[in-house]
Amino acid sequence: MSEEKKGLTRKDFLKLSAVGAAAVAGAGVMTMAENVEAAKAKERWAMVIDLDRCTGCKACAIACKTEFDTRLGVFRSQVIYREHGAYPKAERDILPWLCNHCDNPPCVKVCPVKPVSAEFKGVKFKKRATYKRPDGVVLVDQDRCIGCGQCIRNCPYQVRSFDPGKKAGGNPSANPADKCTLCEHRLEAGVVPSCVNTCPARARIVGNLNDPNSEVSKLLKAHKKDVAVLLPEKKTRPQVYYIGKKAKAASAAYKSGDDIRKEANSKYQLVVWKEGPYASTKGGK
Amino acid sequence: MAIKEISRRDIFKLGALSALALTGMKLNKAEAVTLMGDMDALQWGFKDISPETRKERKAVPSACWQCVTRDGIVAYVEDGRLVKIEGNPKLPRTNGVLCSKGQAGMNQVYDPDRMLHPVKRVGSRGSGQWKRISWDEAKKEVVGLMKKLKVEGHPEKFAFWYGRMKDSTSHYVKGYFMAAYGSGTTAGHTSICEGDKWVAHELTWGKHYENWDFKNTNMVLNFGSNVMEAHTNHIPVAQRLVEGMAKGAKLYTFDVRLSNTAAKSTEWIPVKPGTDTAIILAMINVIMSGNLYDEKFIKNWTNVTVDQLKDHVKKFTPEWAEKESGAPAKKIKELAIAFAKAKPGVAISYRGLVAHYAGVNNERALITLNAVCGYINIPGGFCQPVGAKWNDPFKKGFKSQHAKVHGKLKIGYGYKDAVAYPTHGVTQDVLGVIKEGKHGRPDVLMTYCINPPYVNGNCQDNINIMKDESIIPHLIAYDVAYSESASISDMILPAANYLERWDAMGHASGDQIHEFFIRQPVVKPLGEAKPITDFVDEIAPEFGIKLPFKNHEELVKAMCNTTKGVKEAGGFDYMLKNGAWYDVNEKPHYHQHEKKLSEKDLAGTKVDEKSGVIYKPDEKHPKPDAKNYVGQMVDGVAYKGFPYDKIDRQTGKIAVYSHPLKKKNWDPMPVYYPIPEHQKMSDGELILTTYKVRTQTHSRTQNCKLLTEDYHTNPALINPKTAATLGIKDGDKIEVSSAIGKIVTKAKVTNAVHPSAISISHHCGHWQYGRYTSGVKPPVEVGANDNDIDLKLKWWTDNGEHPNWIIPNSTDPMGGQQRWMDTVVKVRKV
Repeated sequence: MSEEKKGLTRKDFLKLSAVGAAAVAGAGVMTMAENVEAAKAKERWAMVIDLDRCTGCKACAIACKTEFDTRLGVFRSQVIYREHGAYPKAERDILPWLCNHCDNPPCVKVCPVKPVSAEFKGVKFKKRATYKRPDGVVLVDQDRCIGCGQCIRNCPYQVRSFDPGKKAGGNPSANPADKCTLCEHRLEAGVVPSCVNTCPARARIVGNLNDPNSEVSKLLKAHKKDVAVLLPEKKTRPQVYYIGKKAKAASAAYKSGDDIRKEANSKYQLVVWKEGPYASTKGGK
Repeated sequence: MAIKEISRRDIFKLGALSALALTGMKLNKAEAVTLMGDMDALQWGFKDISPETRKERKAVPSACWQCVTRDGIVAYVEDGRLVKIEGNPKLPRTNGVLCSKGQAGMNQVYDPDRMLHPVKRVGSRGSGQWKRISWDEAKKEVVGLMKKLKVEGHPEKFAFWYGRMKDSTSHYVKGYFMAAYGSGTTAGHTSICEGDKWVAHELTWGKHYENWDFKNTNMVLNFGSNVMEAHTNHIPVAQRLVEGMAKGAKLYTFDVRLSNTAAKSTEWIPVKPGTDTAIILAMINVIMSGNLYDEKFIKNWTNVTVDQLKDHVKKFTPEWAEKESGAPAKKIKELAIAFAKAKPGVAISYRGLVAHYAGVNNERALITLNAVCGYINIPGGFCQPVGAKWNDPFKKGFKSQHAKVHGKLKIGYGYKDAVAYPTHGVTQDVLGVIKEGKHGRPDVLMTYCINPPYVNGNCQDNINIMKDESIIPHLIAYDVAYSESASISDMILPAANYLERWDAMGHASGDQIHEFFIRQPVVKPLGEAKPITDFVDEIAPEFGIKLPFKNHEELVKAMCNTTKGVKEAGGFDYMLKNGAWYDVNEKPHYHQHEKKLSEKDLAGTKVDEKSGVIYKPDEKHPKPDAKNYVGQMVDGVAYKGFPYDKIDRQTGKIAVYSHPLKKKNWDPMPVYYPIPEHQKMSDGELILTTYKVRTQTHSRTQNCKLLTEDYHTNPALINPKTAATLGIKDGDKIEVSSAIGKIVTKAKVTNAVHPSAISISHHCGHWQYGRYTSGVKPPVEVGANDNDIDLKLKWWTDNGEHPNWIIPNSTDPMGGQQRWMDTVVKVRKV
């Protein structure tokens, strides 16, 4: 049974960290030290998305945009549809999609900005311009970001964009990278993330994996048979878990970020943000 | 409240605090676990933080208006600017969540193209030439026109046509101002939505509207509703449908296309447009002939016998229904049996069933299906809704100010004798009726929150009539946007939007309890935009009308402070702070029809021997009629039964047999009326249907940039086999033509639509309403400005093609419904 299906315990994480660190030793960015410290955090946030419940209403995608006054063309969170089957057995799979706050984040690995020491709730760690915080949230420090776009290009899920409304602190002639923050500003104040709050189907649950009694921990335990993550073969160890009858099939349909983007670009009324100037591989400068 | 390291003892304290914060919430167990899972005792809402400054944003509870559902919301303000909207967790029907449209409400306030100033045209109607005028000038002109009519003794020639006006605002404008001014000439919009559904309700079980008790049901049969994407009580019922399904309820959707609701259903059964009723009748047949019906309910609470029903439906076989609709007979039988055994189940519908010829009949068949199974007013069934009744302490005293000279031009009920029971209006024919003139012609037509050229059928005809000053001399638009309608008017008055005004409100509960909520302004109206009630305040004295309250806020305050329950909870102050109130101890209301009448209820009443109807005769109403219904005798006991609305259906039971329909030469029991046009179609002709999607509301959310970013184009959905026959490939440019015109649009070849249909959403294809909507900037005089960074980031240019140009204004002769789903079209590649 792969790691993704168990709720991660701290012991698991340390084991995985060692493997992860060794794997990227060559890239020399995410060090063992960064990971081990992070494991000491009290909270490890994760999200569970129940695909049986999700109705594809897009309230989450819009709520995210309004919470952060996100610019047109930029999406931190989206919902894509995948149609298949011949009439009359036509089907539509619905997949909410956002940053997975991976435990082995390929975006963080390639950030060229020099790491500095930081502390989060008493836990010391190192952070570049993009970093994984000890509580699991992957963030961008737009004040230090130089707008090079490496993280954007290296994310296999293509969930990062340039933010055309802002200037990168580390290079004001460029736009900084933009992504889902798991509404850490709300979590800090004890309030559920905006997408979680608004979901009429209550399909999104956020919680603490370090607590075996949290909703997310309990759900992952109960759904061992149907839980799935996106692009597991990339070994990013995503912390967004999909449950429900269609979870496995829905996630298996995508082999790459391009597949996900292709679905989003199909003519059934989806956001064609690849056309936008601030999508993953273009613009930003 | 930051989450810090906590001990186990603290966990329980935190849990308790969270519970306090959520006092008044109706939580089921699953919800409680989600919210209060030990260490992550996260608050659900009613609190937001600025991601930039980390400061708490100011929470202002209010109400949504992006669609008629009117969910309770919490709006967040930062430095006087509206920055976020969420659902109000303190209003049970909303339960703290909110749809995409509600979330994007901010876009209405800060739309750079919204109406900000009164303008008057300087060129001809529709020339697009305007001059900005002051409110004083505007008021002077409008009052002048209205006073002239009063002096001439014809106040009824002031017509007020609204699309969406509800709650205390409606009360203010119609119940106070129009009543005192002396005009009853109003028209609404219901018939372009689901008018026939409500007429069917009046003819069958009395008052219109129903609540589907999804949370408690086992099986849902859905005929043409897309409740998960759009509904008049959308979020309240959609979330409860998800809960019901999470508990194991099955959903079967009969629809022309694979809506999201169909996609999420246990099964989608495609049907040819307009044939669903055949399936419903066949199901009733299976249930009756299989002896699976609720004998007691049919006997006590319908006005037909089991034998009558069996005899009536026996000819509607599943095999016949398959021939008509395409739905397999085996499936029809299987589902009918399962439905009767579901105990409880609920059969639901919306425009897919009723926006057709004889839509009234179709909905009556649906109610009958629920009735024969006994699924009326029970947990999990088809229930009479529970709203909220506010007390208005001024209403009675104001009666003395009602105009002595009062008139009404019947422009809102269709052509003379064209409709049997147009009790919910015939809005699509208002312009045609005015042109014809047989019901008189208004001198002044004011439109409020309605866009007739766009929302009715036959756009060109609508435009031609509105532009003709010899037909309608004075055309005034009171609107938030430079809509298609406003753009061809004489004067446009800028309306404040819903986040800038007041209301005392109630709408159907999802839990069958009384829920009171208010709308309060979140920000001051931008520019010179003005709530219509303020406009009424300012012009009322010109007519010698003395409103008993200073303004809408005062009326809402008085209603909050004098309505039982709300008053005791803290009245206005409580509502300002919480947005909503309900009695936490109130039990859900079911079996309302079986409420036994008291001696007091029965004082002065008589019983009609034939029907068992209990009525209270007086001078004006000596015989049983729609106005003096009190109850229904069943086996010698007096019950409340099913009260009447406008139509006397001659029974307090469910009128499966309708005397009023028989009177007008329609079949008194539900039957199958094939769509006339569909019986003589040639090869290659298709049936045009329209539909709604998850991120738009009909015609007035397309200026919301975030919503239109998601959905801005409406290709025509065509089945692959059909497309192949016509030589059409996905993405091809096609011409779709009807008897009245043609449009050129794109084809979307998809398995998600019936082969006989071509489906085009009506959300797209605006030619005004702002840059985000149509790409066209309104005149600067109205206030259109460039104060929006996203104007430069609008990445789409395809704004779609509106189908209504080729859909005629075609009225169902039974109930007045606009027949959206019946148009026969030809399609060819261009």
